[in-house]
Amino acid sequence: MKKAIGDNMIAKEWGFDKGLSLVKQAGFDGIELWLGDVPWFQLSTADSEVRELRRRVADAGLVVSNVSTGLHWASPLSSRDPKVRALAVRIVEREIETAVLLGTDAILLVAGLVTAEVPYNEVYQRCLEALRPLGEKAARAGVRIGCENCNAEHRFLISPREFWQFLNDVNSPAVGIHLDVGNIHDTGFAEQWIEIHGPRITRIHVKDVMKRRGRCGDQSVYTNLFLGDNNWPAIRGAMTKVGYDGWLVAEMEARYRYAPDQQFYDTAQAMDRLIAGRL
Amino acid sequence: MGITRRRFLGYAAGAVTMGLPFDLWRPGRSSLAPETSPRWVLLDLKEHGCLGESVSGYESALTSAGVQLMRADARWVSPSRCAVLIVPAALEIPPPAVRAIVSCLQAGASVILESGAGFAGGRDFRAHRVVLRDCLQVRIEAPVQLWSAHLCAQGIPYVDYTWPRPAKVRDFSRVVPLGRQAGEVIAWVDGLPVALQRQSGRGTLIFLGSPLGPALWAGDAEARRWLFDVLGLAQRGRASRLSKTRAADRAKRLRRGTTG
Repeated sequence: MKKAIGDNMIAKEWGFDKGLSLVKQAGFDGIELWLGDVPWFQLSTADSEVRELRRRVADAGLVVSNVSTGLHWASPLSSRDPKVRALAVRIVEREIETAVLLGTDAILLVAGLVTAEVPYNEVYQRCLEALRPLGEKAARAGVRIGCENCNAEHRFLISPREFWQFLNDVNSPAVGIHLDVGNIHDTGFAEQWIEIHGPRITRIHVKDVMKRRGRCGDQSVYTNLFLGDNNWPAIRGAMTKVGYDGWLVAEMEARYRYAPDQQFYDTAQAMDRLIAGRL
Repeated sequence: MGITRRRFLGYAAGAVTMGLPFDLWRPGRSSLAPETSPRWVLLDLKEHGCLGESVSGYESALTSAGVQLMRADARWVSPSRCAVLIVPAALEIPPPAVRAIVSCLQAGASVILESGAGFAGGRDFRAHRVVLRDCLQVRIEAPVQLWSAHLCAQGIPYVDYTWPRPAKVRDFSRVVPLGRQAGEVIAWVDGLPVALQRQSGRGTLIFLGSPLGPALWAGDAEARRWLFDVLGLAQRGRASRLSKTRAADRAKRLRRGTTG
């Protein structure tokens, strides 16, 4: 198993190169690039500039673990507005294109967004409709689409069986799940999601969650590894059971009030313990 | 009691022409099917329509009810054979489609014309409005967004149909309200008139300013019931017109017989 961290953790004032050297120094093997969430990697970033990003990542002694994006929160595939949907599809296509340019084989997307306005059944249908052709496109490019389980945030595909049925309905080997073990909160158990989805897992996001805190205003339920309520020995055991040997990608909130670079070191060390099973 | 196949079909046809009630919504079976083969037409405007899911919605609702539906390009619509023409999520309505709609109405068909202009940009919406006004005498107002913060606090802005039966169907975020015009308003949302039906030629025009297709696509049972009721009514109306025409033909033949 290899470990990576998102470039959206890099403070904007540090810049990409300084961020990369910190990621390397902290002990990570790779970096997850967030399309649209960081100044150096936007939808408007040209192919030549993307190749340049790859070169800079390689120069730092790292590889790109996968391409992700948060752009679908504002422009979901499930929007009723055809123009927004077209943009959402374009975002996925660009993720696929850049994944190829960056030498990785996985992308992340937030599949749909259930709201008071756009109900679940519509979201489900619209996501299927969008993902079937995108799956074919991804397969042709040798890339796998990982739909992230954002459970409470997107109020969609909240249980592992529901997600499993959704992937069955998409029916494409190129479309799987980018499993976030911190997103399940108290709606279930991450280890069971791992067991159910096994080979369909494209990447795993790691963070911890305080299941019993609940949300209040801007208070977050997310925290660093081993500080929350996830059962990490069970999660590690489930990875072994299903033979998951791919990337673990840290997706934390930048919570350190002082010495923010320390979070990179602490996270990398915690991930080493997780991988080694020394829990 | 013995009955030949020919006689049975004769009775069945008689029941249809007498306008006997149909049970259109019975799980596992639809009495829409036998009458329909070539006559139920879904006009797919393709790139001129803006919501593929609406086309899919009508198609899936009708085929799952056992209706044989013809999905056709405007050039292939035969008005004399068309009992019901459905035009989902229309935005740009090109001349062949306008001709098909008008011809079907003149020939006595029911036409369900669904506007897909709720999300259209200014220029597209203006063109849509002009075609509706000039070719079909349907007057619409600029799209209204239903989910503003104010309205949202009042709950879900369901589209309330009043004809042919009361039905509550999920909104589609934006509606194209109707202007003042002839015809019966058959649906309202938040006090806005959003659908009408009126006689046009020998047929009936049903205009929907809030798309029904996406609700059908998402499996909304109430939307399906409403659609089947409308289609059942259209079928009975057509059967009744056919019956009158046949009776008139028979009377003509009889008159010719007595005088000739």
